[in-house]
Amino acid sequence: MSGTSLRPMAGSVAVLVALATLPWWAGDQYQIHLAALIAAWWILVAGLNLVVGFGGQLSIGHVGLLAIGAYAFAILAGRHDWSPWIALAASGGLGGVCGLLLGLPSLRLPGFYFAMATMAFALIVAELVLALGDLTGGGVGLSVPGFPEPFESPAGHYLLMLGIATIITWCAWNVARFPWGRALVAIRDNPVAAESVGVPVFRMKLAVFVASGVTAGLAGALFASLQSYITPDTFVFELGLFFFVCIIIGGRGSIAGPLAGTAILTALPELVAPLAKLGTLFYGLLLLAVVLLVPEGIGRLFQVILERLRPRETASPVLEPDAARLAAAIRRQERP
Amino acid sequence: MTALVADGVTKRFGGLTALAAVSLDVQPGEVHGLIGPNGSGKTTLLNMLCGYYPVDEGAVRIGEEDLSRASVQRRAAVGIARTFQKPRLLPTQTVLENAMLGGWRDTRTGFLAAALSMPRVRAEQRELRDRAQAVLEGLGLGYALKRRAQLLDHAESRFLEIGRALVLRPRFVLLDEPAGGLTGAEIERLGIVIRTLRDCGIGVLLVEHHTEFVFGICDRVTTLNLGRMIRHGTPHEVRHDPEVIRVYLGS
Ligand SMILES: Nc1ncnc2c1ncn2[C@@H]1O[C@H](COP(=O)(O)OP(=O)(O)O)[C@@H](O)[C@H]1O
Ligand SMILES: [Mg+2]
Repeated sequence: MSGTSLRPMAGSVAVLVALATLPWWAGDQYQIHLAALIAAWWILVAGLNLVVGFGGQLSIGHVGLLAIGAYAFAILAGRHDWSPWIALAASGGLGGVCGLLLGLPSLRLPGFYFAMATMAFALIVAELVLALGDLTGGGVGLSVPGFPEPFESPAGHYLLMLGIATIITWCAWNVARFPWGRALVAIRDNPVAAESVGVPVFRMKLAVFVASGVTAGLAGALFASLQSYITPDTFVFELGLFFFVCIIIGGRGSIAGPLAGTAILTALPELVAPLAKLGTLFYGLLLLAVVLLVPEGIGRLFQVILERLRPRETASPVLEPDAARLAAAIRRQERP
Repeated sequence: MTALVADGVTKRFGGLTALAAVSLDVQPGEVHGLIGPNGSGKTTLLNMLCGYYPVDEGAVRIGEEDLSRASVQRRAAVGIARTFQKPRLLPTQTVLENAMLGGWRDTRTGFLAAALSMPRVRAEQRELRDRAQAVLEGLGLGYALKRRAQLLDHAESRFLEIGRALVLRPRFVLLDEPAGGLTGAEIERLGIVIRTLRDCGIGVLLVEHHTEFVFGICDRVTTLNLGRMIRHGTPHEVRHDPEVIRVYLGS
């Protein structure tokens, strides 16, 4: 790893230490709850970001996968007394399976129709939750158990979610920096070029979509146990748009950007009372401002700052191929 | 020696016959020129060789292996690489990352292995970065490795596309008007690159309008007009063919 990547690395560690000690310096319980909520949304957005921000597939229906994870956890851990850990894993698994079933027929559709398919999926899930009252409690809802000690207290629950969010962030960052991330960006920016070097476009879209189903299922389970009670009203369609907006505001092809977007969009309306009154209007105005002023998202601002920190390129030399070096480079990579 | 062969390839777009039973072969270690007026079907033939369009009639082969029904990805895997008439790069990625994309088919690790940053994934990444960097340095792009592709000038973009094609470890490289928009000096440097590919045993199909450049560098030249092959031969034979002069070169 090169020296230039040490600075962001040190920054990440500092942020993580600050977050892990939050229960000891937070002003009140409510701030811890808010931080836990951000962690839940980020777990979902981190996976969705690979689909939307990297792969360029516009899913606006992930709230459906979130609801599936939440209800699976509530039913398995609450009604059937499964261990919360096994129920959590099952929620993630079910999210992944549902992602597969949704992605298989829809990921071949052109962008606009894919977005519509994910929207239809979210609406169908919402209707099913109401219709299957025996299972889901219908309009009345379900109470949801928490996790055993030491994760029972609000601070413990928060630290659990922070731990999971950290692991998921690390996984997403790995996907982004290895060839997978580049291939996803190629699918987003130039699918023809992606195919020309052998990228299996559909298979990759499907793989990240399934992964985003897993994180949505996990987020749903953790969110439900954080709320301790869920009803169909918890999973309104606007929530799916909210996740999408977090990524657009954060910036495509970045991880820090959507993370900041999720934190800001979750916390601001809660911390600044006048903004809460605006409700959805606040998100709308912010989205408008970002799209008009920084269309590349706030993630791009981070990048610009990092590029400033880097030493400047000095001269601008001419393009001068070197036949001997080129031949050596080609021969070196020849197939056996 | 296995050649890349188009055998009587026909392609229709609705009522228009863009290619009518065109045959051509590219041998390893040769530069094969493909010339003809605009709309004569050069890009279409290139797309057929790469698998973007299925053949209506005829076949595409490498040696004995029939690729007529093979996907674009499969053809990349057997070593067919290409550049585009209008460069297709990833604007937000760096030059090095764009070139590394060319090595995609050498990444054997799956999604989970990447997400967990297994040692094998990191080794693969290192190996890929090293050889992409070596190729770019050979092309003269060593000074721009960390530049975002959207900041490149036109010639740099064209060379980077060639770089990406080379990182694929191709047996055949199909270049669609690589000299388009380049200055005289830049075309000369492009010539150095193409000759180097040939010397390394790569078969090059060169679609180009700069006829002096084509006749100077190619071992053989095929001429298309209105989707039909009108002349095939050495540069000397083609440039003195009355039919080629009439429809394309002018007098
Ligand atoms: N996708 C397509 N759909 C319909 N017509 C096409 C398509 N691609 C090419 N053509 C037509 O096929 C003919 C050959 O085009 P092309 O191969 O691009 O020519 P060249 O590269 O020699 O300039 C042209 O008449 C063009 O209009
Ligand atoms: Mg063309």
